[in-house]
Amino acid sequence: MNNHVRELRGAQAWSQADLAERLDVSRQTVNAIETGKYDPSLPLAFKIARLFGQTIESIFEPGE
Amino acid sequence: MAMREVHKRYLREFLPAMAAYVVLILLSALASARVDSVAGRVVLALLPLLPILLAIRAMVRVVRDQDELERRIDLEAFAISAMATGFGFFSFGLLMGANAGWTVSGQAVAIWVMPCLFASFGIAKLVVLWRYRSHE
Repeated sequence: MNNHVRELRGAQAWSQADLAERLDVSRQTVNAIETGKYDPSLPLAFKIARLFGQTIESIFEPGE
Repeated sequence: MAMREVHKRYLREFLPAMAAYVVLILLSALASARVDSVAGRVVLALLPLLPILLAIRAMVRVVRDQDELERRIDLEAFAISAMATGFGFFSFGLLMGANAGWTVSGQAVAIWVMPCLFASFGIAKLVVLWRYRSHE
């Protein structure tokens, strides 16, 4: 799955640690999501979408 | 990197439990030599298991309360280490049965299960962590 989490985080000028704190996850988890190593669960994807004020499908797209 | 509260809590719960375990092992070993009854020695030998219940509780709580990727990493590492240790010792038993020319006491084998489980968990966790880490 591809996602725009890194761009959205950059637009807010947040570090990975800042985003991790807002999502109540580890920085490692934010990094793994941004690099596509890990696809978040639906509840975490909703949390991310809510934090950036977007829909899940505008942030996450099915990959190849 | 700052430790998250869930992991600080884990250390607050786990370390005292393990410290109590070590103290009780030493006490039970010292006291066991002075106890004549078999039942008494059995109770003393099993006494250190009490703080282990607290250690297990600490482990379950950290697995439940950490974030989803941390939980996945721990559970994958645990699955690998449990299988490696279980099948490792089973194969070791088969080797012993093959009369390859060396023997190890049952007590030594039993005592090495836990260190092997912990060591293989540590190695497995490093491998699983590496898999989820960015290599950009």
